[in-house]
Amino acid sequence: MKTTYALATLLFALVVCASGCAPVAPWQRGKLAKPQMSLDPYPIQSTFHAHIYNSREAASGSSSAGGGGCGCY
Amino acid sequence: MGSSLLTTAYRRFIGRLLIGRSKPKPTTSASASLQALTAAALSLPGLMSSPVHAAEEEAGFSYGYYQESNRNLFGVKSRFKPIEVNSLLGSSKIKLSDRVKFAFNYTKDTWSGASPIATAPLSFGGNKEGGVISGATPFLQNNNVVFDRQLNPLIRNPLTNTYVKDTQLVHTISSASPETRNQGDFKLSYEWNEAVLDVGGGISVENDYESRFGNLAGRWDLNRKLTSLNLGLSYTNSDTRAILDHDATPYIWDTSGGFNVHNITSNSSQITKQGGNTILKGNRQDWGTVFGVTQVVNEHAQIEASVGYTRSSGYMANPYKTVEAAFVNPLQTGDVLSGVAIGLLEKRPDMRNQWTENLRYVQHIDGLDAALHFDYRFFHDDWGINAHTFEADWVQPLGNNWTITPKVRYYSQSAADFYTPYIVSTQALIHNVVDASGRPVLVSADHPNNGQVYFRDQYFNLIDAKGNIVDETIVNPINKTAPFDAGKLPANYSSDQRLSGFGALSGGITLSKQFAKGITLEASAEYYTHAGSLKLGGGGEGSYADYNSYMVNGVLKVDLSTLSMAGSGHGEHSHHGHHGSHAPAGVMFDHMLDKSGDVMVGARYMRASQGGSMLHGLNDVSDQAIVNNGCEGNPCFDTSSGMNMNMIMLDLMYAPTDWLTLMLMPQFVDMNMTTRVLNGAPTATFDQQALIDHHTLHEHTTGGIGDTGMYAMVKLFDEADHHLHATLGLSAPTGDVGVKFRDTHRIDVGFQHYGMQLGSGTWDFKPSITYTGKMDKYSWGAQFNTTVRLENKNESGFAFGNIFQSTAWGSYSLLDWLSASVRGVYTVQGSVSGAYNGTFNRLGPLDYASNYGGRFWDVGFGLNAFVPTGDLQGNNLSFEWLQPVSNDVNGYQLPSSGALSATWSYAF
Repeated sequence: MKTTYALATLLFALVVCASGCAPVAPWQRGKLAKPQMSLDPYPIQSTFHAHIYNSREAASGSSSAGGGGCGCY
Repeated sequence: MGSSLLTTAYRRFIGRLLIGRSKPKPTTSASASLQALTAAALSLPGLMSSPVHAAEEEAGFSYGYYQESNRNLFGVKSRFKPIEVNSLLGSSKIKLSDRVKFAFNYTKDTWSGASPIATAPLSFGGNKEGGVISGATPFLQNNNVVFDRQLNPLIRNPLTNTYVKDTQLVHTISSASPETRNQGDFKLSYEWNEAVLDVGGGISVENDYESRFGNLAGRWDLNRKLTSLNLGLSYTNSDTRAILDHDATPYIWDTSGGFNVHNITSNSSQITKQGGNTILKGNRQDWGTVFGVTQVVNEHAQIEASVGYTRSSGYMANPYKTVEAAFVNPLQTGDVLSGVAIGLLEKRPDMRNQWTENLRYVQHIDGLDAALHFDYRFFHDDWGINAHTFEADWVQPLGNNWTITPKVRYYSQSAADFYTPYIVSTQALIHNVVDASGRPVLVSADHPNNGQVYFRDQYFNLIDAKGNIVDETIVNPINKTAPFDAGKLPANYSSDQRLSGFGALSGGITLSKQFAKGITLEASAEYYTHAGSLKLGGGGEGSYADYNSYMVNGVLKVDLSTLSMAGSGHGEHSHHGHHGSHAPAGVMFDHMLDKSGDVMVGARYMRASQGGSMLHGLNDVSDQAIVNNGCEGNPCFDTSSGMNMNMIMLDLMYAPTDWLTLMLMPQFVDMNMTTRVLNGAPTATFDQQALIDHHTLHEHTTGGIGDTGMYAMVKLFDEADHHLHATLGLSAPTGDVGVKFRDTHRIDVGFQHYGMQLGSGTWDFKPSITYTGKMDKYSWGAQFNTTVRLENKNESGFAFGNIFQSTAWGSYSLLDWLSASVRGVYTVQGSVSGAYNGTFNRLGPLDYASNYGGRFWDVGFGLNAFVPTGDLQGNNLSFEWLQPVSNDVNGYQLPSSGALSATWSYAF
């Protein structure tokens, strides 16, 4: 069941890519390079918020495997 | 169309970028520019950040505050304040070489306040005692409770003396003493052209929990960097060492052992008794892996999909959470069943497999130049929890380097399989033991565990195991009892709110401004609401468990590579005056900024310790002398045996003119103290003894924002070799001086010791005068400074003494980037005036105002390192150790045993 979910997400990404991915030349990447377009525009704030959410919610982890202490109040 | 304008603008931007880096080889002009463009574009380090805006070398400071609302206690007024957390983060990223990067982060959290320890039917009366409204420690033990035949809880109506069904649940709230966590972690990266490898690790330490972790991550760019594959691996090993709440431990039973046994080993944890405390130890290991794909969809959008798996094993329960369990003997007759309720330590499985699937999507909105972010995560584990997270952010640049980002987040989770608000077990808590033929077994009341058993014969005589009649008056027989059968309870159970079914909705906003000289400020605020009714699909926990919270956060980021990008001329000039003339790390207000418009950012860390033997004046003093004389005529019972204070300060300096520098100095402090019993102390009353145990068996900790300093430095004299300036300063009492202990043994312990408060509580005037001089490789200086309290008592009823300090130092340049210093300091401080104006238990010298202050001589040894050229030029790092030479204390005190200072500063 869980592997199905995993594969489904990956498949979704690949499908999006295959159907909607236009080849983007290097000189067309101006917009993508803007700071507001980075996947995490506020990394320090994200760490602070993630720590609070992880202390009050059961779902843990993020898109990067970091590991860390508790500080679970 | 905008594309040609964009292309020209982009080419110009790339061109500026290239000037600071290597120049392209000269060829024909058209192919040269194309080559340059392609080379530059391909060197964009992945699609995560741009080389100009997200600094490659950066220092960042963040302060965050989190506060929860009160829980619904249905009319019971609780003295406890809800949980509040202060978080401090210092982060740095530097380039060790072209391909090697190093990042280091330091985190400090302090928290205090109350949170739920258990849940129970309101009729159990867990938050009040005997009808009296109080905030005392939770009433978890041996409650007599009543149920109907369907095992619904009943509450007795005192007016009509009838029982009414009441299924209302409520949290039982308990307060923990303030706690502090420190974490350090690092990451080392190596970059190839198409790939990156990171290795990292760290350690997180708290009083009762220590966690060590390591991780490995790799990224591989394909398809001309349109696609990236990410793979990460992490391992965490954590130890719990918790002192169980000793108000609750007589009543918290480890169910694998049953009746009041404290040293039974369960699968993943062990309970032992050490020196008066009951300690629970456990270990836990987590292995995690994540695999993701990032893909550029088109010019305006990119998407990231990832899957993660984590396997956790070991002790995963919370040692401070219990489950209220009611034992009801099913053999009762009638409509009202009575039972006994006790608290059981929660029990969780020792294995947990977790899967996450994440999707992140970013879309550029052309008309507004904004970016819409959408994130979705699905979490699933084998504890029965399924959770969905939806988040949307709109990053909107506003012009002039301002950006505003509203955000909304929705989270929903289902309850864990073994989550239960409370347990009802259809068996008696304790039952009388009978033998195989049904005869009640009796034991001697005076020696119930000596193995001798007795019975009654058919004439009601007392007989022993062999059938001989024995004298009842000597034996004094009572029924032999046995506890409940733990095997009849569920295999696992927890009432921890984190494992219940609920939804959470939050909304927030972030504002950021990028200034010249590579400084960025960010501020954010978010409001969060947790409610069972918000759970996707319904069926969440009742509204008794609802709460709200808010979190605010401020970030200062400094781009360390701005100077090197713009060229080195400015840097050298602005440091000419500073080179070699930085005073040792322990001296504050030692230097001013040279020119109008200069900015300097610095961080200062100081750790001061007290220890060794107690002093009276200049001399060591015996315990008996302290007992007799240390407490202003009252008996002394305990004294402090050690204390550490950590202070982290941020120095923000700006020179509006050449002769004036303004400085803002916020600070964060945390302190811990250990106390010991005095030999020869008189016998204490029962309540006093409870308090003495509370102090001496536990280390006390406080932490949070300290006082904030505001200073104006005025240049009086400034020649090539000599400099004199005066500083006028004001310290604002932003540090809490009302910090209290948690209750113990249902006694309100009141205020923490004077030295454990977070600030002075008074507005203080802090003038000083500083002279510095230099010649060749030598430099020297002197300073007089004073702290004058502008009020004679703060809001808690006391004020610290005034301080006068004089110091002089000399330093020598060992190398062009390294110098060493020697310093002498003489400090006079007055004693405390006034006393706490609330509950305050005076048990030792540190609780009396006359035992503060004194006259102190210290000697300091320091090292200062300065980066004159290169990528990191302008950074200055110094350390100093301050060694006490003579302590002449007022009254009876534990003297200083030394202080370590470390400062980092960066001038623009």
